Amino acid sequence: MTRWWSGEELAAEAERLVPGSVSKISATACIFKAENLVQVLSALRDNPATNFAHLSNLCGVDQWDRFEVVYHLQSLEMNQIACAKVEVQDREEPSVPSVVSIWQGAWIQESETYDLFGIRFEGHPNLQRILLWDGYPGYPLRKDFLSMPGGLQPGLNEFAGTSAKPEPPVRPVE
Amino acid sequence: MSEIVQSEPFVMNIGPQHPSTHGVFRVKATVDGEQVVDAEMVIGYLHRSMEKLAEERTYTQNIPFTDRTDYLSSMSNNLGYCLAVEKLAGIDVPPRGQAIRVIMAELQRLASHCMGAGAFANDTGAWQTPIMWFMREREKILDIFELTSGARLTCNYMRIGGVAFEIPEDFEEQVRALIGPMRETIADGEGLLSGNEIFLVRARNVAVIPPELAINASLSGPMLRGSGIAWDIRKADPYCGYEQYDFEIPIGYQGDAYDRFIVRLEEMRQSLRIIEQALDGLPGGPHSTEVPLSLRPPAGEAYARIESPRGELGYYLVSDEGPSPYRFHIRPPSLINLSVLKEMTVGGSIADAIVALGSIDIVVGEIDR
Repeated sequence: MTRWWSGEELAAEAERLVPGSVSKISATACIFKAENLVQVLSALRDNPATNFAHLSNLCGVDQWDRFEVVYHLQSLEMNQIACAKVEVQDREEPSVPSVVSIWQGAWIQESETYDLFGIRFEGHPNLQRILLWDGYPGYPLRKDFLSMPGGLQPGLNEFAGTSAKPEPPVRPVE
Repeated sequence: MSEIVQSEPFVMNIGPQHPSTHGVFRVKATVDGEQVVDAEMVIGYLHRSMEKLAEERTYTQNIPFTDRTDYLSSMSNNLGYCLAVEKLAGIDVPPRGQAIRVIMAELQRLASHCMGAGAFANDTGAWQTPIMWFMREREKILDIFELTSGARLTCNYMRIGGVAFEIPEDFEEQVRALIGPMRETIADGEGLLSGNEIFLVRARNVAVIPPELAINASLSGPMLRGSGIAWDIRKADPYCGYEQYDFEIPIGYQGDAYDRFIVRLEEMRQSLRIIEQALDGLPGGPHSTEVPLSLRPPAGEAYARIESPRGELGYYLVSDEGPSPYRFHIRPPSLINLSVLKEMTVGGSIADAIVALGSIDIVVGEIDR
């Protein structure tokens, strides 16, 4: 069975390798500071106790007040997986360091995250939109993309102004 | 003719509408004569923004979306998503539901590898005969899916907490009836191709991926195992009771297109073994647990992954206690396996680039989502 590292375990190991690199700890993940993200992740890859040579997953999450970039680090030899995160507060020009220098597999996932969230990855060799076209207005996976007035949600309800009904329920699926 | 013919690089588009790209996908290849000097992939033609759509729908309403990502293995995609929701909400699946899920996932792997191996044979120039043999067997599996779920490709059969319906009465008989012919077809396909001189010239030492690159580039599935790394999530992190079944992980040893093809064929044999064992020990009892219609998992996050026919298929879900996921992310194995296309094709000829692309076994619906 795969050993799933908790946030505390990963934070303890990361603090031992790169002191002062941990920003916050949650139950499932360890949140690192952006300034030494590359240093700590490459130390976690090369450290024999962690050996996270395989980057399983990389994605972004919009938490309204901040963006999270989530990394699932995996060791095939030792059969273990851990979740690392980095947070960025700036909504106008969000930017985190790229980890392509550590794992080549990150480049396409970072490109996708840039495309859909608008998070810039500093040091990425070829950061451009891959799923949407250049000049596409906005970044669709941000929570404020296509936000409707009056608490309407795109998808389940009609767009504002197209319906004669005054106030359709926001979530009729309850 | 003593004069040397001068050539200069030029850009050639392979696709987006081309049989060898297996979907709406374009390779911007820079070629110098017959040699590929650069290859850039252009994706996004099939982008439907499923991750955004899923944030507005309930957990159960999202299951049909997962059918439409990797449309050649909808059962596996249903399973990966349902496992992620179950992990998030702490739901257990009864043993019968788990066994049915395993049978369906392995049938789906057979169907998908039939398509993958057959299409790869087509790409190498074994025109139509192997793919027709494999398609004939795949058809029987799709008939069983239709019998069980009502649909052939977009099955929408798994549910959170189990499966949608009980299996029909003649299900077991029909599944057992296809195992023998499927074994014969795999042997026929292997006999026709694996020792064939033309096939060996086309596939051996083409698109070689060294094991270090395979790990560093996050590859998974037959792409990783073809390079000699015995990594299978069914063994490493068993889900749905895979630890009860006896099967092996086939690996290649050169990391070329040929090894990936052989790994797929051998995986089909192992899938048949798993199906036989699961049918023999199919437990009784309910096929799923009761789950509230508007499921509201506790706030948190969950990452669940399965071994889909194409590799590590992961679903990352974030819940804010609402009826729909706050964040719904798919880790698409096809997209990440495709990211080494440049390393696989540069230096080879254009014809080898087609073989390299075929050996990845991409599904564009999953790449673009």
